[in-house]
Amino acid sequence: MTNRFLSHENLSKLVADLAAAKTRVIAPVRTNDDAAQIDYLPIQKLEEASFGVRLPRRSAKEFFLPATDVLLKYRYEKDGFEIESVPTTAKPQVILGPSPCDVAATEIVDKVMNWDYRDELWFGRREATTIVSMLCSMMDATCFCTAVGLGPDAVRGSDAMLVPVEGGYVVRVVTAKGESLLKNYVTDQVSDALNTQAEKAGAEARKKVEANMPAIPAAFAESLGRNFDHPLWKTMALRCHGCGACASVCPTCHCFDIVDEHNDAEHGVRRRNWDSCQTARFTVHTSGHNPRGSQTERFRQRVEHKFSIYPSRFGEILCTGCGRCSRICPGGMNLAEVVGEFRSLATAAPEGGAQ
Amino acid sequence: MKSLQELAFKLLSEGTVKVVIGYEQGPLGVRPAFITDPAQSSKLIFDRRCTQNLATYLNPRRKHIAALGKAAVVVKGCDARAVAGLIREQQITRDSLVIIAVRCGGVLEDPISTAELTAETTSPRCGHCQVREPKLYDHLLGELPPEPPVNPRRSEQIAAIEKMTAAERMEYWNQHLDRCIRCHACREACPMCFCVECRAERALPQWIDFSPTPRANRGWTMMRVMHQAGRCVDCMECERACPEGIPLGLLARYIADSVEQRYGYKATDDPGVPAPLGVFRTDDGEEFIR
Repeated sequence: MTNRFLSHENLSKLVADLAAAKTRVIAPVRTNDDAAQIDYLPIQKLEEASFGVRLPRRSAKEFFLPATDVLLKYRYEKDGFEIESVPTTAKPQVILGPSPCDVAATEIVDKVMNWDYRDELWFGRREATTIVSMLCSMMDATCFCTAVGLGPDAVRGSDAMLVPVEGGYVVRVVTAKGESLLKNYVTDQVSDALNTQAEKAGAEARKKVEANMPAIPAAFAESLGRNFDHPLWKTMALRCHGCGACASVCPTCHCFDIVDEHNDAEHGVRRRNWDSCQTARFTVHTSGHNPRGSQTERFRQRVEHKFSIYPSRFGEILCTGCGRCSRICPGGMNLAEVVGEFRSLATAAPEGGAQ
Repeated sequence: MKSLQELAFKLLSEGTVKVVIGYEQGPLGVRPAFITDPAQSSKLIFDRRCTQNLATYLNPRRKHIAALGKAAVVVKGCDARAVAGLIREQQITRDSLVIIAVRCGGVLEDPISTAELTAETTSPRCGHCQVREPKLYDHLLGELPPEPPVNPRRSEQIAAIEKMTAAERMEYWNQHLDRCIRCHACREACPMCFCVECRAERALPQWIDFSPTPRANRGWTMMRVMHQAGRCVDCMECERACPEGIPLGLLARYIADSVEQRYGYKATDDPGVPAPLGVFRTDDGEEFIR
């Protein structure tokens, strides 16, 4: 990884050149002045983007796994049916200035998308996308990326990372893809002063998040398993509405439902749509039986999947500590609080009838 | 709020109720609290940040809450209308719960905020509120605070929409509804959405596509709003819960106003007043079947 320098002018030129080449550029954009609301949206000019204001409302996962995605189209024939497949390659796109937590999530989710089956649509978009992330300066008391092994300066999943400094950005080029996108816009000469400035910004940002939560130890996953029947699950789940807003804003929640929908008597579309384990419908059987019959089990599932099941299967936590679920929850659920409660049990004896 | 904490302590230690559903300070703003241990009563608070409508938790299909036993619930005047609605529609019985009503001086739109009540921060539903002192209660607490500031945002938006042509209105709503991801958070947070099986999840016959496509999103929102006609209590929990920031409270207000104009019905905390769709009246205009 080598440091380069990118001036504001050259970043502006890069966006203009990409727009001219009809490459989609996605960046954080201010969508409501009063509320300083930010969403990831396509831009044509750099001025449309707003970096460093606050975390976008939704994560960047929709650019790899859209809320609704066509899998195939079909037509009923007299003697059978005809299927039209969808392309699994995507047009090139650049995501500019996403936060490191959103970017790392893509690499974490890659593992399940390439597990028992290689998800062609996911990887088609992953391969077509170049991610130029930006050092995060938007942390608040709800963030805990450093506790899950990431950080506001983590380059995981990024092709390059921009660190704002005087006059532009110190660029950390991570991959060949990042190199090829930026090579004509960056200079190799970075003064020691700017390098120091970038280092300092990263260390300071990291310190701020570290103050929120200490690193989650490996024993935490075991603690969750051991305390599967702990009464805390029930107490904490009472305020949960089961609405699934947490999953929809989450960068790592990736569950989907598949449906066939008719356009008319002969034509239809098979789609996959975002789904959430927080809703009652997620696990209900055809018989009507629901193995996760109350919100207690559903809430526990989300936490267990992120901090115990996924780590045991793929070796890492399915959470990047972005805090979106806690900020969006209409019932006031708080993931950092849940982690805090259960990590305090990590060394304690099992309680509440665990077998 | 001392009187609230003392009352909760008394109700729980005497065994009158098994749980008090109220508000507490959470890690991030004020949030719903479920107090089952009398010693925890001191956690209860009530102030301008208590914007949530706790009547949502009285839905009998929230089995893990119902399993706790008889509940006392803290309500503002607007929330009391939802409790009345649940009684009116036979979801709960009046004697199955203890209602602790609090006189209200308006609430913030955002329970995470720490702002004072101003024309910008107060919930738009609080302006000119007529139910700051609820009538449906077992216990009524607090002195009546001064009237809250009026947040004109919603009435201004409705006035602007009323001036639009049909095509402009369509464009306005499409712009918002195209963002809908069909998570149904609006429904889950709504105290009056208690159907055992929502039409949105009915597959045979399928009334509305499951997918968040423009067609299905319009169908879903229109259906939910129409089903709320004469039932919605205008607590704006749907709008607060929406992760996409769709202004669902506009539709709620508009449909409530329409019902009032046509049927002279306004959401009330008197469970004895029949809902407009639940009563036969010989003087009903019945315009829709002419």
